[in-house]
Amino acid sequence: MIKFENVIKKYNYQRALDGINLQVHRGEFVSLVGVSGAGKSTLLKLIIGEEIIDGGKIFIDDIDIAQVKKTDLPYLRRKIGMVFQDIKLLPRRTAFENVAFAMEVCGHRLDKIKIEVPKILDLVGLLHKQNSFPNEMSGGEKQRVAIARALSHRPVLLLADEPTGNLDEVNAAEVLDLLMKINQLGTTVILATHASDLVNKIKKRVITIEGGKITIEQQKGKYKL
Amino acid sequence: MFDSISFLRIIKTGVTNFVRNLWLSMAATMVMTITLVIFSTLFLLFVLTNYSINTIQNTVDISVYFKIGLAEEQINTIKTEVSQDSKVKEVTYVSASQAFDEFKAKHENDQLITQSLNELNENPLPATLHIKANDLEDYPVVAEKMQSEQYADFIDKVNFEDNRLIIERLNKVLNFIITFGLALFAVFVLIAVLVIYNTITLTIYNRKEEVEIMRLVGATNWYIRGPFLTESMMYSIFSTIITGLLFIPVFTKVIPAVTNYVSPDVSLYNNSVFNYAYLLLILFGLSVVLSVSSTLFAIRKYLKI
Repeated sequence: MIKFENVIKKYNYQRALDGINLQVHRGEFVSLVGVSGAGKSTLLKLIIGEEIIDGGKIFIDDIDIAQVKKTDLPYLRRKIGMVFQDIKLLPRRTAFENVAFAMEVCGHRLDKIKIEVPKILDLVGLLHKQNSFPNEMSGGEKQRVAIARALSHRPVLLLADEPTGNLDEVNAAEVLDLLMKINQLGTTVILATHASDLVNKIKKRVITIEGGKITIEQQKGKYKL
Repeated sequence: MFDSISFLRIIKTGVTNFVRNLWLSMAATMVMTITLVIFSTLFLLFVLTNYSINTIQNTVDISVYFKIGLAEEQINTIKTEVSQDSKVKEVTYVSASQAFDEFKAKHENDQLITQSLNELNENPLPATLHIKANDLEDYPVVAEKMQSEQYADFIDKVNFEDNRLIIERLNKVLNFIITFGLALFAVFVLIAVLVIYNTITLTIYNRKEEVEIMRLVGATNWYIRGPFLTESMMYSIFSTIITGLLFIPVFTKVIPAVTNYVSPDVSLYNNSVFNYAYLLLILFGLSVVLSVSSTLFAIRKYLKI
């Protein structure tokens, strides 16, 4: 489903990604590990077209991302959900409104939004918190709302960039469980993290990045750094 | 480009932005209104002055009164001669009897004059030539020629009302309006553009998070830009309405008064050039160009899409 062919990305002449070759299949759960600055976030940003590659090719379902017109990028992004370390919820909107917002801006009808949002919130286990504002929720709950928002377009791919970075152990475990559940329901998940214990718990494919290069690839791996 | 739901949501967000920064929005609207008022004043002054000059120019003519009893043939010869002068645009001949009839018709309600006329045996009025020159500067020349020795035997009197002084003054006023007015207008255009630019920049800054999230969840670029353009359109709409209201008295009172003074017979108010709706349309067009272009500049600079 995703294919990286010798991908190079430079920031000010420094190679953030240096010849990445990678293939992710539909339905996989891939952990991308490495220290901060290894190039994990850059790799995810390339997939949603937030950054432009300086060499090589990236294919999503055989579509060359470099060929996607700027005006078509939003439609690509609707197929890909993304969650972040800093969560990015709108503070003055409730959990329900935050998820609804994502559907609104993509032109969904209000009656559809009213049916879909509770379903998604139920999936992440937060239906009872749908009228809570972000400051009334724990870090893990907020991240789960963000995941719900990312799922609102029923994406085929979910990218998670350090989703547990700011969370304590219990909350982190909650979020991880949710990601695995989503994966089991059929969505491909790519998780970028430097939290070794999390990765070891998943027991799925692990790709280690160091200095912009893939150094280790394991099918049922452990965090080795 | 959008379906109707997205369009309505864009409008709604734009209106919300306008209301959230109400003071700033009002300031932007006010500055735009001032700019439009200056433009309208300038425009109307220009048109009115121009109209006055044209009207007065049209009233200028030379009247040549022939000696009473002069042969029609002789008059025709002179008329032909005058018409051939390259400086002359138009010559109208009013015969003595025509002049008499016109005079009678004009005063038919005045008993005293009618009675006096009836007592006359012959027509006391002379035949007349009304001459219009091509150029304002040509009138004195033509008038002088008619007064020369050549025609002294046939012509009794040459009447030339010199309105050149008034026209010159009006031209000076017109020039002043154009230079001073355009300078003032340019200054306020600049102020309006800057104020709107800053207001939109502030809105963009306030909505930074929202814009970022919209982008990440796949909102189209125009969906993100739309509310800012809506907001700037609201400045245009409101400023046009306010300016329009301010100018109603001008259209109902001032313009009819002026045109009536300059030319009592013609009503400029009914003239299409002076159409109120026409001015509103120009104002709206102008304000849209100003506000939308400054908004687009702000979007280009600060809205990272």
